[in-house]
Amino acid sequence: MAYRSGVNLQEVEPQAELYVPEPARIVKVEPQTAKEKLFEVELTSGRALGHGPGQFVQVFVPGIGEAPISLCSYRPGCSSFQLCVRNVGTVTAALHGLRPGALIGLRGPLGKGFAMDEIKGHDLLIVGGGIGLVPLRGVVQAILAERDQYGRVIILAGFKSPEEILFRSELEQWEQREDIEFAITIDRPHPGWGGHVGVITTLFPELRLDAPNTRALVVGPPIMYRFVITECRLKGLADESIILSLERRMRCGVGKCGHCQINNKYCCLDGPVFKYSELKFMWEAI
Amino acid sequence: MALLVMSEDYVRALIGKLMKETRVVAPHVREGRKQWQFADVVDPGRVALEYVSTILPPKKYAFPTEDDLVHWRTEEGFSAEPVLSVEPLVLFGVHPCDIYGLESLDISLTDTYVDPNWVARRRAMRIVGIDCLPDEWCFCSSMKTCSVSSGYDLFLTPINNWSEYVAEAATGAGAAMLAVAEGREASSHDLAQMRAWQNDKLARQRDRRINTEVNDLPLHFTGFADSVVWERWSRKCYSCGTCNTTCPTCFCFDVLDKLKLSLDEGYRSRVWDGCMLEDFAVVAPHENFREERHERLRHRFYRKYAYLYTRYGRPYCSGCGRCVRQCLADIDPVKVINDLLTEARKEAAGHGL
Repeated sequence: MAYRSGVNLQEVEPQAELYVPEPARIVKVEPQTAKEKLFEVELTSGRALGHGPGQFVQVFVPGIGEAPISLCSYRPGCSSFQLCVRNVGTVTAALHGLRPGALIGLRGPLGKGFAMDEIKGHDLLIVGGGIGLVPLRGVVQAILAERDQYGRVIILAGFKSPEEILFRSELEQWEQREDIEFAITIDRPHPGWGGHVGVITTLFPELRLDAPNTRALVVGPPIMYRFVITECRLKGLADESIILSLERRMRCGVGKCGHCQINNKYCCLDGPVFKYSELKFMWEAI
Repeated sequence: MALLVMSEDYVRALIGKLMKETRVVAPHVREGRKQWQFADVVDPGRVALEYVSTILPPKKYAFPTEDDLVHWRTEEGFSAEPVLSVEPLVLFGVHPCDIYGLESLDISLTDTYVDPNWVARRRAMRIVGIDCLPDEWCFCSSMKTCSVSSGYDLFLTPINNWSEYVAEAATGAGAAMLAVAEGREASSHDLAQMRAWQNDKLARQRDRRINTEVNDLPLHFTGFADSVVWERWSRKCYSCGTCNTTCPTCFCFDVLDKLKLSLDEGYRSRVWDGCMLEDFAVVAPHENFREERHERLRHRFYRKYAYLYTRYGRPYCSGCGRCVRQCLADIDPVKVINDLLTEARKEAAGHGL
């Protein structure tokens, strides 16, 4: 079989702004935990970002650098959007030092988010571990905006300790809603915590699912994936019904720099959201 | 197809004519060494027409080792603009493997998103190819890159023991070069010599071959993930990234911030990076997705012969041999792949297959 032939460079349209961050303003900063802050951001042009749940942006802090950050809000018609950022590296540390009014640069939205059209009409099992809940929060907001389009909505949230719980008031609202089945757990016993204790998989035995009709949306640390995927499969979910979001060090965000490659996939282009069926033979995935 | 037979003097005269119009870069020998490098032509008489391989491939003229992408300021709010400097350029004396490399990057750097700096520089580039004879490291016959049918404006094939060249124009720009060149008409004997050149290239690599069809490599690689071969070869590897740096089809990069002392202005600049370097797949806070050397070596081979092959429709290896020619540990892709195939066959035999 012959190799693919070269590209006629006269026929392609170079994207002059491909690597250029667009000016954006931090509107509000809300502390979440000792490590995470929630940033409300808007593009200074007033343009809506137009993202879907599960997509990300490259956030540029002038003079410091750029880092990929998950979009954690989904509010169509709203010009601002939210980023929940853990202070963990150079760029995120610099972000944590910024106050409302500060200007940053943004590229995006980038990547393939959750295919909401594909999960409509199904029961949803949403499993978030730690900051894995960040991209899932946008999903939940999207679902609640059209709640009648979905079947059962089950949310399982896991954190190491009560201090690390994110989006507290929102989680309380989810807990109180009749149309959401919500459970939260912390890894180890903690003074003053009266709720469920144990890793997130300890919430699974209670679950009664209509497996063929259920789609699981799972985001968390790599170690959580291994166990949660197993639990989902034990419940009878098909591999293509288990949907995950992966994290890698994206530099360009547009499938060029090679940093986020996971076997034959680019996390930034083909993901960050993948079906487990796509990943199961990729030894670098989880 | 316009053809012209040019003497070596006429070829050098053509370089001189091109220099009057445009910047011309070509291979030059490094003083006192059997090494060559692409550099600006000052004297056409010093251009190396007969050479084995340059240290770095010519991709550096479209993808420099350091390339400013963005200029930003914070003087009045935040603003950022693209940075691009382009000048017309003739790359003179490019071997088929390197033409293959440039065309490969044309594909990957325009797939889905179109890289502005690469495309602008490639559009401003005219390519004069030249044929060559392989050394003990080349494996273009295995990679099917001994000859290319596109990716150049003009191509020169040596005949009569390098004393003359058959020049073939493939584009309008190439025909314009021929129009100002001097030479004689090609005879059927000259054309027979052109064909003989290709056969000679293949013959010289008879004992240096990948022991399978390249087309089958992605299929073979589906079974190589757990091969002992990765660990075996990686024990010799220094993780120095020389193979990445010298590769005509590698295009990974990192992005660095260059800050003015005033702190209110800076550049975002891409610099070459390599997947063999230890920190290539590190994410904050210090999780390394390819911590072990064998994981990085395996990744590089998979990328070259399986991942990008499947994704972009051609292997991302041109068989130029630079990686092993310059490897401190003699990690030779031909030997590594043959080793993988041998181990796989042994294992299959062990299962009674």
